[in-house]
Amino acid sequence: MSRKIVLWVSIAILGIFIAVALAAPLLAPAGPYAITGKPLQAPDADHLFGTNEVGQDIFAQLVYGARITLLFGFCSALLAVVISTSVGIIIGYYGGIVDEIVCRVIDVVMPIPMFVLLIVLTTFFSPGVLQVSLLMGLLGSVHGIRIMRSQVLSVARTSFVEGAKAIGASDFHIMFRHILPNVMPLVMVKFVTTSQHMLVMGVGLSFIGMWDTSTVDWGTMIQNAYSGGGVALGLWWWILPPGIAVVGISLALALIGYSFEEKFNPRVGVNRI
Amino acid sequence: MTETKGEGVQEKTRSVRELISISDLKVTFSSRSGLVRAVDCVDLAIRDGEKIGLIGESGSGKTVTGMAILGLLPVNAKIRGTIRYGDHDLLTAPDRTLQQIRGNEIAMISQNSGNSLNPVMKIGDQVAEPLVIHRICSVPDAHREAIRVLSELGFDDPELAATRYPHEFSGGMRERILIALALVCRPHLVIADEPTSGLDVQVRSRILRLIQSQISGNRTLFLITHDLGAASFLCDRIAVMYAGEVVECGPAKEVLSLPLHPYTQGLIASLPSAGLHPIPGMSPSPASLPRGCRFCERCPAALDRCDCDHPDLFLAEGGRQVRCFHYD
Amino acid sequence: MISRRYLLLRLCYSGASFIVCVTITFFLLHLMPGDYITNYLLSLSNTLPKEAVAQFREQFGLNLPITQQYVLYLENILHGQWGYSYAYGQPVLSMIFDKLCWSLVLLIPATILGILIGTVIGAWSGWKSGGKKDFAIFNIMIVIRAIPEFWWAIMAVMIFAFYLQWFPLGGYASISVLSTGLDFFDVLHHAILPITLMTFFIATGNYYVMRNSMISVIGEDYITTARAKGLDEGTILWRHALKNALLPMITITTFQCAAIIMGNIFIETVFSWPGIGYLTTQALTNRDLPLLEGIFLLDSLITIGAMLVADILSSAIDPRIRMGTDE
Repeated sequence: MSRKIVLWVSIAILGIFIAVALAAPLLAPAGPYAITGKPLQAPDADHLFGTNEVGQDIFAQLVYGARITLLFGFCSALLAVVISTSVGIIIGYYGGIVDEIVCRVIDVVMPIPMFVLLIVLTTFFSPGVLQVSLLMGLLGSVHGIRIMRSQVLSVARTSFVEGAKAIGASDFHIMFRHILPNVMPLVMVKFVTTSQHMLVMGVGLSFIGMWDTSTVDWGTMIQNAYSGGGVALGLWWWILPPGIAVVGISLALALIGYSFEEKFNPRVGVNRI
Repeated sequence: MTETKGEGVQEKTRSVRELISISDLKVTFSSRSGLVRAVDCVDLAIRDGEKIGLIGESGSGKTVTGMAILGLLPVNAKIRGTIRYGDHDLLTAPDRTLQQIRGNEIAMISQNSGNSLNPVMKIGDQVAEPLVIHRICSVPDAHREAIRVLSELGFDDPELAATRYPHEFSGGMRERILIALALVCRPHLVIADEPTSGLDVQVRSRILRLIQSQISGNRTLFLITHDLGAASFLCDRIAVMYAGEVVECGPAKEVLSLPLHPYTQGLIASLPSAGLHPIPGMSPSPASLPRGCRFCERCPAALDRCDCDHPDLFLAEGGRQVRCFHYD
Repeated sequence: MISRRYLLLRLCYSGASFIVCVTITFFLLHLMPGDYITNYLLSLSNTLPKEAVAQFREQFGLNLPITQQYVLYLENILHGQWGYSYAYGQPVLSMIFDKLCWSLVLLIPATILGILIGTVIGAWSGWKSGGKKDFAIFNIMIVIRAIPEFWWAIMAVMIFAFYLQWFPLGGYASISVLSTGLDFFDVLHHAILPITLMTFFIATGNYYVMRNSMISVIGEDYITTARAKGLDEGTILWRHALKNALLPMITITTFQCAAIIMGNIFIETVFSWPGIGYLTTQALTNRDLPLLEGIFLLDSLITIGAMLVADILSSAIDPRIRMGTDE
């Protein structure tokens, strides 16, 4: 019973985050860059979370920053999942040489540390949030291909796929209408868990200065506050809001991911019947 | 087996002492599709020294019955009833008592799936283990005994075999190992759960002969199987299970040559030797059992009352029991 | 024991992976606008004597056609000449090794403790899975993992260093080190917080894998067989369940050890701990390509090596795979 409550509460929290991000212009009409108060003001009636070292409203930064952070997380996760699912289905279905080659390539590429590679690549490209998110999606898809492939294999060898072939269905039709729906549960779980990882990693990357620090997102907010002495000076309103926001959405996504995983793979879960 | 039958009535009554008495056994599992009644009101007596077989298809509840005796059912099983063994009720006995009985007084030959033996432990150690934990003898003696049992069970080089791992043996050899570790403490009662499943014909007959020679004299055998041939070869008495209850019980030869219950008749008729006539339909799901007789839907001799009334086990000639209104 | 063919095959794959990494770094270096020289030497000084330039050209073969440059690059890498940092002007490899020691000060205790704690709690949790205690621990672990590492670090600094003042705010030694030299206890005092945090994180990873492994072992038939023999729960756990559940842990643990060697970027950055992680952040800020590439190459080397060792170890230890049947 309580599992369902947890799931719905998490979904609600996620919904709130997304709604806030979308409604940013309504909630903070002045925008994240406007200097609306004195520097380092504690929270008051005008500024829900106070101001930062330049006098910008932290609440405004938080809601606008949500857009970037969330966009980053979901876009890269979407890309990663789309790539790993399509490639997984194609090679799992066709098998043969295509499968061999792709698997060998993955064997070679898997040990390469993606996180550091990402840092190297972005130094080279000096890109913005969107490019980094695409890159992360690309690099992150490699690991998922293996998992998708094994799931597809167990579905593709079943008799109903043979049956579909026997009545003359085209390959594309089989892959799209028969195999995909069967691996959908796994795809959904992967999307949620990947979103969580990507989102958190995105904040982390921005925290260490991956992209232009003038971009306002939760990572740069935390970085700003931390290196500006927010902790050392005890200015909790400067550093806490973005951090708690990250924790909130990360937890929500993690719990949703676990609920899904339990539903589709009951052995992993807790409180079995 | 034949010795007890040939002796006088007095001998017979003495050896008719009940070793295990299962009364009113009910095992239910709660699952997502509702309550699964795997075993529903089973009364069965296993007499000392007899070889009794429990026959049924998969899902009839026979394995669950066997596992209930040793308390090996999973935690989500709700068990009711009594299983008397000596002074104990095995269903309510404390863990320590059960552990003392298992392997030592009552042993089980597990179903030979690919994974019934610990893959990372040498088989010599696995066969010697029951002797060691029940403190029957010292560790070196236990290993010697294990090797002796292995050689009795047909291993040509038991010392070498004892140093090997389960995956190095074929299915038939693994079955022998499972038999070895069940017999090594010389238990009173051996429960054999599908000992011939997955084995090819040659190996099957060898294993059956092995069981017959090893579990002879006044050792009791409780054979759980769907293999009618194995049951007829090994058992004095047969009980037939269908949809969680015993539907027929009696001396093996009579049950198999002159089956009384329509289900048993159907089973015999479906043998290759009888013409391979399968019973139409499917057995009811344990999650939704019918109100009346559970075989009613598939029964060629169904009466009107079979649909609404549930038959008890009625007594028929020769001490046999049948759960059918035709014998009321 | 393990077939030689399998070993050779794995070595080839590992070699291929490394070559791919080196190729990537080579091309990135080359695609940078301007010359390696202009980028590097510019950070040193504006005017350069002609001999220095010529020597450089010689060493890095900047005049040769690209394929020969590639070969030269490969040779350089294999000989330990990994280039020079743009920002610091020092050889990349020696810089990395200097900082590696500091990272290890944090990593070695954290890894050992984390693996032990994670495995033990995971095994216990898996054994009791379905129960209330397992439920509680499992959920606690989810929460720990969901909170990002750097946030844990920042919170720890806030609470323990700032408010409670039990630990220093960062760095590896107090200012007094300038006059009195490095004191073991001083460094320890600085290291406790980061080590604790790292231990937490490593433990949660191990916990999850061990728990899953234990759960699948419990469902196996040989556990039922063991029970039927009359073994008590403790003996079953030790002798039958654990041995089998630990098998997959070997691969994971080896891999973890390697992954973690490259320093933990976030924790080191927050604590200003002068290890490789901190170096990475600084290199990123400085857009110091050769240094970052050096870190990347070392990381790949260690990761690839770890995967190889893990593969070999699990083949060697699991008696089922010993027969040398590849894959």
